[in-house]
Amino acid sequence: MSTEERIRLFRETYSAIRTEISKVFVGHNEIVEGTLIALLAGGHVLLEGVPGLGKTLLVRTLGEVLDLSFSRVQFTPDLMPADILGTNIVMEAPGGRREFEFQRGPIFAHLVLADEINRATPKTQSALLEAMQEHQVTAGGKLRRLDEPFFVLATQNPIDQEGTYPLPEAQLDRFFFKLLVGYPSASELGQVLNRTTAGVLAEVKKVLPGERLLELMKLVREVPVASHVQDYAVRLVLATHPGTQTAAPKASKYLRFGSSPRGGQSILLAAKVRALLEGRFNASYEDIQAAAHPALRHRLILNFEAEAEGITTDHIIDQVLNDVPTEAAAMVGA
Amino acid sequence: MAAALSGLWAGLLAGALLSLLSIAAFKLWPLPIHIPLWGAAFPLVGALIGAIACAWKRPSTTEIARWVDHKQALQERLSTALEVLPAANDWAALVLTDAAAHASRVDPRKLVPFRLTTAAKIAAIILLAAAMLGFVPEQRSELQKRRQADAENIRETGRRISELSRRLVEKRPPTVQSTQVAMETAMDLGKGLERATLTRMDAMREISSAAEKIRARAKTLADDPALKQMRQAARSAGGEVSSREALQKQIETLKNQLGTESSFEQIDKLRSKLARMEQTARASTDGGLGAGANQEIAAGLSELARQAQALGLNLPELDAAIEALAAQQTDRFLQKLEAAMSELEKLSEMSKTLQALQQQAARIGRDLAEQLKNGQAESARETLSKLARQLQDSRLSPDQLGKVLEEVQKAIPASENYGRVSDHLKKAASEMQCGKSGEAAASLQAAAKELESLMQQFGDAETLMATLDALNQASMCIGAGQCWQPGRRPGAGNGSRPGAGVGTWADATQQWDAPPGEMVDNSGFQRPDMDPRSADAERQEGAPLSPTKIRGQFSQGGQMPSISLKGVGIKGQSTVGYEQAAEAAQSEADSALSQEKVPRSYRESVKNYFDEIRN
Repeated sequence: MSTEERIRLFRETYSAIRTEISKVFVGHNEIVEGTLIALLAGGHVLLEGVPGLGKTLLVRTLGEVLDLSFSRVQFTPDLMPADILGTNIVMEAPGGRREFEFQRGPIFAHLVLADEINRATPKTQSALLEAMQEHQVTAGGKLRRLDEPFFVLATQNPIDQEGTYPLPEAQLDRFFFKLLVGYPSASELGQVLNRTTAGVLAEVKKVLPGERLLELMKLVREVPVASHVQDYAVRLVLATHPGTQTAAPKASKYLRFGSSPRGGQSILLAAKVRALLEGRFNASYEDIQAAAHPALRHRLILNFEAEAEGITTDHIIDQVLNDVPTEAAAMVGA
Repeated sequence: MAAALSGLWAGLLAGALLSLLSIAAFKLWPLPIHIPLWGAAFPLVGALIGAIACAWKRPSTTEIARWVDHKQALQERLSTALEVLPAANDWAALVLTDAAAHASRVDPRKLVPFRLTTAAKIAAIILLAAAMLGFVPEQRSELQKRRQADAENIRETGRRISELSRRLVEKRPPTVQSTQVAMETAMDLGKGLERATLTRMDAMREISSAAEKIRARAKTLADDPALKQMRQAARSAGGEVSSREALQKQIETLKNQLGTESSFEQIDKLRSKLARMEQTARASTDGGLGAGANQEIAAGLSELARQAQALGLNLPELDAAIEALAAQQTDRFLQKLEAAMSELEKLSEMSKTLQALQQQAARIGRDLAEQLKNGQAESARETLSKLARQLQDSRLSPDQLGKVLEEVQKAIPASENYGRVSDHLKKAASEMQCGKSGEAAASLQAAAKELESLMQQFGDAETLMATLDALNQASMCIGAGQCWQPGRRPGAGNGSRPGAGVGTWADATQQWDAPPGEMVDNSGFQRPDMDPRSADAERQEGAPLSPTKIRGQFSQGGQMPSISLKGVGIKGQSTVGYEQAAEAAQSEADSALSQEKVPRSYRESVKNYFDEIRN
């Protein structure tokens, strides 16, 4: 199959997924797009929003649309790491001999829904660290690889809600995107009510098997990025590092820590996916700028001053985007 | 082109800033005028340099691709295509095809739209500020203003000296090399003063130095006895000495214009009477023209008209005035009376000129001897030519030859001061005695030529004296902080008193053309135009003696010449007596005077000053 055909297939698949999701999930196009971009880039997604906005529904629907194994873990304060990863239990062999056998946890699925992830203790949350980064877990003294593709789609309530534990920075950094789920509009809410109160359940089809998803993920990484576009992504990340020469003024003032290199990787991969979705064969400055917010907002750690003044990481990212010029803009003095 | 435009605006901005700074600096400090003038050109130069520099630095293909991507919102298609091109794989082909498709829709004309950038707008504001700053008066101290005015005066004076010298040379080209050199010195001086920025002292020193050179040459010419005589004759005649024939021609012309043989005194008397009559008529008219006054004026005017007719004067306006008076047309009468007065004044002036010409003609010697004696070179030259022509005439009788011989012999003693003229005359006389009329005529022609040469030298001397006088006046003007112009002396303006000089009540129009260091014999000078009109003269004419009270008036005088001398202020108590200090100062002044440190124009004043403080 030629590259052009692969790209065409990419767009068709994406379109099909969107169509299937829209049968169940109403509105929130940016959230859906962001989630799909993260999946196509091979990243994990953290969805944040108050309860009842459809976060879980979105992930669950995505699990149904993708022809992948799906598991859901409801995070609670008493959830233990073994409940996620699995544990060795004593099993009786046919010969009457008893031996330990590893019982795989819900992490062993292609698509894992970590619902209300911030309701679990940090210890349990950290159980996902190795799985999310290395796509493997160490349990019962053995290293066990997870099947590819592997995605964690987590939802969380805002941390100021009762009974929540903020995710550790290391954990947050492993999420490709953090998407903020807002309230639906009036028309969207109307559609939601129509669909959920009429007694008719929409059925979705599986449109994307795992193998094809892996191929699409491979295609994404082939998208060319010009050096100056990549350099722009680098400069954006560097501008979030407080106290450095490259830092944007607002970043220096309100940030305790800036983005890790994973932020840059996320921006660039997301830009590639967006370029393909936009019908282009190359990533552009616009793609980088579009990916900046979801890729960086959970990687920037605000300082006390920012917290006190009600500054959010999105404000900082806006300022960084404003302060860091694209190379062409700098060249013409615009 | 975009780079050039960008450079142009940036250069314009930089130039406008420099321009503003230069004008501001000029307004605050006494900088030369060429600094703001150059400053005015900075924006243009800056814009040009900026445009050229930026256009010269050609951007790379990659930079152009990125710039076009940005300008046309091609989303980095062109720049990415350039980068992936070497890879030559499927992606490169796709990116290239996509970029080519989008590039084909790019309109190059829209790539560089002409618009004013921020730099251009700021530059325009700065230029406007600079232009407005140009109308703000300069902040200058009095000393700076005076120096500036001095420099301007000196420059203008230099230009005028140069112009005057050039005109003098054109009018009367020098015949001798040394005179030419002296005049070139004056011209060079003028150019030097015009170009250089000099202080008052420096300029006066320069003028004094040039004047010394010209004076040396003038003195050489002034020592020539023949030129002395010619100058005396010229001064006596009140200008250039014309020949008898030329004078006669002018006299005849004036007589024809005048139409009468009446003397100046007669006409002037008539004019005075008419003036009094006009005054009376105006006084009567102001209070209403009564019948008695009317009759009296009519009678007076009729008497005047009769006298004018008796003198042969034609005064139609006077007749018209009498008619208007008879017709009780007051306005017309006054108008005609004024016209008649003007007519009579004109006739009076012509009569006066005629009288002066007649007197001048009368002073011209009757024969060659008298002409030479009186320094009337032009007349003498013509006489010599006439005698030569007579000698060449074959019909010359012995009696006539004898008369010519007698005239020539009589002229020989008077020609002693005329160089080789005497030799030629002697030779001519001896040749005539031998009957060699032809040779004698040639000798007389040679004498005429010699006289002509002397006249040319006299012309040189006059040119040099005029130049010298101009330089002296220019020096005094500069010393007084004034701009010199030909004919102007330092002090008040034309005609107002006090006139030229310091503390004198001289006439502003007076001329002093005596050679330096030489006494002038003015005995025998006749200046009827300057004759005083005493009360006796009025009394003789029967004019009523009415006491006239004239109120004295004080008027602001001209600027006194001043000179600034640098000195060192000494503080503390004096340790020497006043007299000792004065003597020491005077000796220093004497030393300065002798060493040419003090300009010539001020030497006398400096000397007098120290003489006074010593006494």
